[in-house]
Amino acid sequence: MSIRLLALIPVAAAISLALSAAVDAVALPLFLDTTGTILATALAGPAVGIATGVVTSAVNTLRNPTFWPFVVVQVIVALYAWGAARAGLFRSFRTAVPVGLALGVIAAVTSTPISYLVFGCTTTGGIALTTALGKALGLPPLGACFFGSFVSDFGDKAVTFALVTSVLHALPRRTAARFPWALRAIGVA
Amino acid sequence: MKSLTLEHASFWYPATEAPALRDVSLEVAQGEIVALVGALGAGASTLLLVAADLAPRVTGGRLTGAVARRDRSGIVLPTPWTQASGMAFTVWDEVAFGPANLGWPAHEIARQVDRALEQLELVPLASRDPATLSGGELQRVIIAAILAMDPGLLLFDEPATELDAAGAQMVWRLMRRLAGEGKAILLATSALDAVPDVADRVVWLEDGAVRAVGAPDLLADVAVCEAGLGTSVATVWRASGLPGPYPPTVAHAVRRWR
Amino acid sequence: MTRLHPFTLLTIAGALPALAWILPAPAGAAATAAVALVLTLTPGASPGLTGIGSSPGWRPGLVVLRAALLTAAPFWVFLLLLHDVPTTIAIGLRITTMVASFVWLVAALEPARLVEAMVAAGWSASVAYLFAATLTAVPMLKARAQRIAEAQRCRGLSPRGGIASRLRALRALALPLVLSALHEVDERALALETRGLRPGIRRTTLAPPHDPVVERAARWVLLLACPAALVWRLL
Repeated sequence: MSIRLLALIPVAAAISLALSAAVDAVALPLFLDTTGTILATALAGPAVGIATGVVTSAVNTLRNPTFWPFVVVQVIVALYAWGAARAGLFRSFRTAVPVGLALGVIAAVTSTPISYLVFGCTTTGGIALTTALGKALGLPPLGACFFGSFVSDFGDKAVTFALVTSVLHALPRRTAARFPWALRAIGVA
Repeated sequence: MKSLTLEHASFWYPATEAPALRDVSLEVAQGEIVALVGALGAGASTLLLVAADLAPRVTGGRLTGAVARRDRSGIVLPTPWTQASGMAFTVWDEVAFGPANLGWPAHEIARQVDRALEQLELVPLASRDPATLSGGELQRVIIAAILAMDPGLLLFDEPATELDAAGAQMVWRLMRRLAGEGKAILLATSALDAVPDVADRVVWLEDGAVRAVGAPDLLADVAVCEAGLGTSVATVWRASGLPGPYPPTVAHAVRRWR
Repeated sequence: MTRLHPFTLLTIAGALPALAWILPAPAGAAATAAVALVLTLTPGASPGLTGIGSSPGWRPGLVVLRAALLTAAPFWVFLLLLHDVPTTIAIGLRITTMVASFVWLVAALEPARLVEAMVAAGWSASVAYLFAATLTAVPMLKARAQRIAEAQRCRGLSPRGGIASRLRALRALALPLVLSALHEVDERALALETRGLRPGIRRTTLAPPHDPVVERAARWVLLLACPAALVWRLL
């Protein structure tokens, strides 16, 4: 791994962790905690993306210990983003947003067993409350838990994909050309 | 003895058609300070990156021509917060980062670090966390960190941008001391008033090519002043309508006046 | 306790939650939770990663214990909302173990010692860099995000309005932050290269943490206890 890609990883991880300030300022129920992972993958490939995801989880765990079991989700997000980058699906919002919505489903499917088995679906207050709502609607426990994760992941991943698409298109060509996957991700190379 | 030699060097950044450097030939001897001056985008920073063997190796792009280095180089970039290692939690450790990466023995690292901290007047800050320092303090730490690696060729890209007047004066004095010890120094700066007291030679870059080379009084040249790269004294002298040649410094102006 | 080798701290913080999940609830989880909570009372906690417990004595231990209990408390409330009492106790004790172990780890682990331990153990300098550099980059980017948010507020950014306008506002906040951070990647790479950080280098350790044989043995015992407990549980 080149020094430039090594330098990208902490920056991308820090982006994921710092975007909470932006989210708070607009009062939206989003996490954006996979932004750095998806961005790093779209710029530099799956190895860099996975490393970014693992580092993000590790540092996030220092703030909230319950993040560590979800490191698997970050790895799956990186692999999914790699597929999207290979197919040039970051070329516009019209392709990126549906792909992000699909990732929301996959992320919810992946995180539900972890949330259910490890945390009894209480990973966050929001997930706990939507799980309670699901139970009240008659869903089985695992289904209610999936409902809780899905509600939080669905929109979050779509917005994340849209944001990464904006970033990739806003990068000057000279800068983008220095990252191995950036131009392919937006369908140029 | 030449520390750095560029012969007909041209460089293109990735995905750009126009070269950032065009047919540049330049030599820097041991014990010499050469200042690069030019407008924004003239290519001074790129020239330093080529001299440091960072372009195209790290930046990507294409280099033609020949570059020969006799000594190990160290480069100080303009923005200190991007140059902090991120792995050090005290100033002492930050300065020791480079020598430790070179694999030097611990006692040699300690000797070089202590010397560099003294040279940059950083001893009182040795146990501070670099994240708590001001921009000027951090820039001095970065300079110390490069010096601690004992490079023979020193490359400075706008080293005084974050420094106050006293800090900048300290750095200029340090450069003259280092040149006296035999270091070769290549300096890109927009602090034109400091250049006559610091540099032995001035290279004027324009659009990536060498427009002129000369002694520091080049910064009082008519063409240089017309390009906005003259010293303050020369610029004011010219604007006042006084006859040339324009004096580059106050001392020159006083001598002319008398 | 905090002068333990960083790898020992990491092993304890990793093994306790693992054992909490492997050992039969509620007794196993109660035991591990008790151990984790007692750890938070360790006197003489170092500043660690978040500055919790930065002076010697018992008081820093109470600060750490309080942080652990406050972090774990909401989980108990939500568990009661969703589950019966025995399930709540079982999962609650496990989560309390995890939370208390990590809160203790954050208070006790000095990043500089961890970096030195990794280098001394022969880990690649790149791996040590990844963790440490992220730790130092996060507060810097967070501060920059705050400044961008304040600047945009001066220009009329408001959390009120429909979803579409808030998403546009989010883009206006996030894009400058991300682009400026990416632009700095190049400069960081140049700086690391010039300071000699390259893949495969053998870095000198400046202050390797003391690693007695007893601690190394204890780490192996803890690490082996987890699969052993799992096997015992399955049989």
